[in-house]
Amino acid sequence: MVTNETKIMYFYGFKLLLNPMSKKQVTRRDFIKVAGLFSGGIALAGAAGAGISAGKNKDSYTGYGRTTYGLDQFFNRKPFIVDHPTYEKVGNTRRITYVEDLFKRNGELRRLLRPMDGGESLWTFDQGIDALPEPLRSYYTEYPESLEAFKQATEKAREQQGNWPKYQKKFWLADAYSSAHASPLMTREPFPPRPVGSPEESDFRGINPEQLQLKSPSHGSKLIKQITHSFGASLVGITAIKEEWVYQGFLRGVGKTDFEVPEHWKFAVVIAVPHEWDSMYANPTYGTSYDAYTKLCFIAGKLEVFLKKIGYSARSHVPPTSYEIAMPPLAIDAGLGEQGRHGVLITPELGANTRLAAVTTNMPLFPDQPIDIGIKKFCNKCKICAEECPSGAISFADKPDKAIRGYKRWSINADKCYTVWNSVATSHSRGCRVCLAVCPYSRKNNWVHNVVREIDPRDPTGLFSSAMLSMQKKFFSYPGGQEYLPPPDGNNKTYLEAPDWLKTEEWFDI
Amino acid sequence: MFPNSTILGPFFWIIMGVLYTLFIAGLFLFFRDNNFKMSVLKWILLITWYTGLNIVIAGAFTLIGENESGAGLKFLGIFGTVFIVLGAGLWQFIKKD
Repeated sequence: MVTNETKIMYFYGFKLLLNPMSKKQVTRRDFIKVAGLFSGGIALAGAAGAGISAGKNKDSYTGYGRTTYGLDQFFNRKPFIVDHPTYEKVGNTRRITYVEDLFKRNGELRRLLRPMDGGESLWTFDQGIDALPEPLRSYYTEYPESLEAFKQATEKAREQQGNWPKYQKKFWLADAYSSAHASPLMTREPFPPRPVGSPEESDFRGINPEQLQLKSPSHGSKLIKQITHSFGASLVGITAIKEEWVYQGFLRGVGKTDFEVPEHWKFAVVIAVPHEWDSMYANPTYGTSYDAYTKLCFIAGKLEVFLKKIGYSARSHVPPTSYEIAMPPLAIDAGLGEQGRHGVLITPELGANTRLAAVTTNMPLFPDQPIDIGIKKFCNKCKICAEECPSGAISFADKPDKAIRGYKRWSINADKCYTVWNSVATSHSRGCRVCLAVCPYSRKNNWVHNVVREIDPRDPTGLFSSAMLSMQKKFFSYPGGQEYLPPPDGNNKTYLEAPDWLKTEEWFDI
Repeated sequence: MFPNSTILGPFFWIIMGVLYTLFIAGLFLFFRDNNFKMSVLKWILLITWYTGLNIVIAGAFTLIGENESGAGLKFLGIFGTVFIVLGAGLWQFIKKD
């Protein structure tokens, strides 16, 4: 079917590309045929380039993204580099004194007007500039208008406070939002501050005595989810609290005690964030639990303040150990995911790379419902986490085979797990997290994994997940349980290679 | 495609669109000038094959891009071979009257 004429045409087509001055007449038709042939090939190369880009794209790092990797600084400064900064030197220079800084200067004046010990004023405006201590006296002698401006600002602040009731309903949420963001700066304790006293005291401390009428629990849920996402949460779910998920025998703020679940713990807002992905894949030695833990402390702590500022009780339950409630089952109830063989929550978006915190509240909310995306069935046949666990703490049973506190699940040998925390090559017991890294669900947000995410839970036969699992085991390499340990038991292996920015040898001579 | 630019990404996909269009137009003329009898089924199979080949290449390179080079190359080796064999079979089918 391919005629000699066609062959000649392609020959001249190539010739045309190589030698545009060729005298052979090339028709438009010939050109399109040759261009089409080349376009098909170039498009395949384009597909490869798009693939590489999708794999490397930092936007696929759910919960981290462009900011973490410096990609928000996208403007190329090189063409605009100059030898001298654009500010202009016109005389002798000197260092700035602290009284020249508005906030430091005003702070000094405030402490004179209202001493922190609550005593009488050490200075009043009526006493004038001469009565001020140095260096304020010298400063205001030179700039008397600055003192006048401070006086006006103080009067305006008093006026503003008087007017606030007129505006506070309109700016109710904005004020609570700002207070929440300011709260980590307002404490000398760890954040969120530890509960002090019973939950009936502690969870209501600092609460706004006024409360606006919430339109509906659905409005409440939608608002709280949006606010929690804005604080940095990757996933947010809401659930009513089941008594059996609440720990017994110790209550923060009270101590060792048996206690009833407080009545005002009506709902839990459950928050999830991932570990940074590249370091997580390089567990156990390059990863850390604390990237996610500190994020959760800030998010939950701010949400606690926000809820109190809009008039509801709130109590943060945050890692590493400041909890009154077991997080995985709470998150399952809140519809975030399901429990895996390794005992860790698996979510559709983050897989097992999911860390949890919660805030309990009496705000009327509309709870989410649990989901079934087939994780239990997948875990029945996968067992990669059990095979890779350096401690052998994860069960190999074909199905959940233990009844633990009345619920059927796989057992985890926490003592064996903790022994490995203390065995891997880290400065001190920093955890292991290999089970999070090797879990097939712990995948980034790109099209390859999203196709699987979407199809797998919709396939009632389980054939798709079996095919994917088979590919997972045949295509992906795993070091093997003992290899994660230091010599002589292993070789300090990590699941994937560590990112360059965590490799000491990339930056220092070692 | 270009994570540090919001300008080049759209251009890339415009160019990809042009390339795919040219490829199909070129194929169309090639088959007509060489008296291939292209049925709807043949066109569907051909476009499906080419789309599949694109997906295999993009999929493999996505895995390579996310530091799973071994998995990406195995994926490309196995499914790429499958697609080349399928392509040879499809060519025989297309050549038939």
